[in-house]
Amino acid sequence: MLRLRGRHYEAGQALVMAIVNRTRDSFYDRGATWDDAPAFERVRRVVAEGADIVDIGGVKAGPGEQVDAEEEKRRVVDFVAAVRAEFPDLVISVDTWRASVGRAVCEAGADLLNDAWGGYDPELAEVAAEFDAALVCTHTGGLAPRTPPYRPHYQDVVREAIEATVAQAERAVSLGVDPASAIIDPAHDFGKNTWHSLELTRRLDEMTATGWPVLVSLSNKDFVGETLDLPVGERLTGTLAATAVCAWHGARVYRVHEVAQTRQVLDMVASIRGVRPPARVVRGLE
Amino acid sequence: MIVASALCPHPPLLLPGLSGGQDVAADLRKECEAAVAALAATEPDTLVVVGGHGASGRYTGDLSPVREFGGTGQRVPRERALPLSLAVARRLLDAVGYRGRVETAAVAWDASDAELGALGRSIAGRPDRVALLVLGEGSARRAATGPGELDERAFGFDERIHRCLAGGDREGLARLDPALAADLMVSGRAALGVLAHALADTVPVDPRVLYADDPFGVMYFVAVWPCVSC
Repeated sequence: MLRLRGRHYEAGQALVMAIVNRTRDSFYDRGATWDDAPAFERVRRVVAEGADIVDIGGVKAGPGEQVDAEEEKRRVVDFVAAVRAEFPDLVISVDTWRASVGRAVCEAGADLLNDAWGGYDPELAEVAAEFDAALVCTHTGGLAPRTPPYRPHYQDVVREAIEATVAQAERAVSLGVDPASAIIDPAHDFGKNTWHSLELTRRLDEMTATGWPVLVSLSNKDFVGETLDLPVGERLTGTLAATAVCAWHGARVYRVHEVAQTRQVLDMVASIRGVRPPARVVRGLE
Repeated sequence: MIVASALCPHPPLLLPGLSGGQDVAADLRKECEAAVAALAATEPDTLVVVGGHGASGRYTGDLSPVREFGGTGQRVPRERALPLSLAVARRLLDAVGYRGRVETAAVAWDASDAELGALGRSIAGRPDRVALLVLGEGSARRAATGPGELDERAFGFDERIHRCLAGGDREGLARLDPALAADLMVSGRAALGVLAHALADTVPVDPRVLYADDPFGVMYFVAVWPCVSC
């Protein structure tokens, strides 16, 4: 069961979470939605393309420009409020590790806190509980926010990702987060090298078997780039291949740059799995 | 008595199979093997390996932890796995066909100077002919795209290490600032300290730096110090 913004989503229903960066330096869009107008344009476009969720972020994941909590709020809070006003039913997520930012965006209308840094600020889960917001619980291998991996190693990366994220989810529930709104994310490439991210993809069924809804964030990441030896702008095909595997393993939420293509892959895999009828079937049945 | 010593880095990339379809560290591995071969050529009674690690100690494990870093091979129990630095040393020794006696020790990144001195002196004081291989690196903060955030101080710090290695300067290596080394993610500070203390009374003859470069944002040095006792 998955519940976001008061709405229940059935098992087998895959959701697309579109990335909307309010940053100047994120690795993929490089500031394309830094200004309000193009950011709004992107929200409108991804909603039209079938996004279920928008994930608004004010801080680049990797090292870069310093962004303190006040600046992060300046970048995202008013924008969340404006998106909420224009799209009353849209699920709005905010990518932040800071409780103070989480509180401000929940007050502005956010429904989901995407804690990409694995509970670094333990009060963030309390904020989610207070606002009946959903929470993404991620595995980072213990890294501080915005720290790249340096020789990460795991006895069993899948087992450790499951243990870390489930522990965070259980803690969030103990604080009052709805169990149907606690989502776990193995966090590809966060505290992991390409081998680790590939193994998490290959064995994602072990993570979905926990029963917690699983989010994957694969889009254009370095593990795709290193696997195919391709630069950032040429990773869509690899991203979609990984997306298909995660869909086959039962992931529920896909955090992406390219919405329409992801939606097609998810629909195709859902039909292969037998949980979605084909859109239109005539051939051979005439 | 130390008859020769050498320094090599220990990135996981030097373990087998981890760089995928391309041999991205071929140049580095070639120089590392040359350095280890130079130690082996002295036909020591014992080849002592000291590598940086999270905690000091002697490790009885004999298996490589390569699967912890990647690949699709067999997992090994952690209690039987060598620390990364010692596993890289083991691989280099195997690559050059060294079959002599080997003793290994790990030294904590943040080991005190007293600990480094005690370990170094214990190696220097051995009655047998010892070749000493230490494993560690310079700064991991040399590139915006590297593993650590770029810190301009890294260049001066690494240059100092380079000069010490090229000049056989043991005192210079012993005086590396531990706090700055930690800031700059210098994995080799402790291992270099052991080298410096072990050779306090031994003169490096014709010290050579075979490799000094940072192809992936981490400074790798490969150096060989043939030695004569004072």
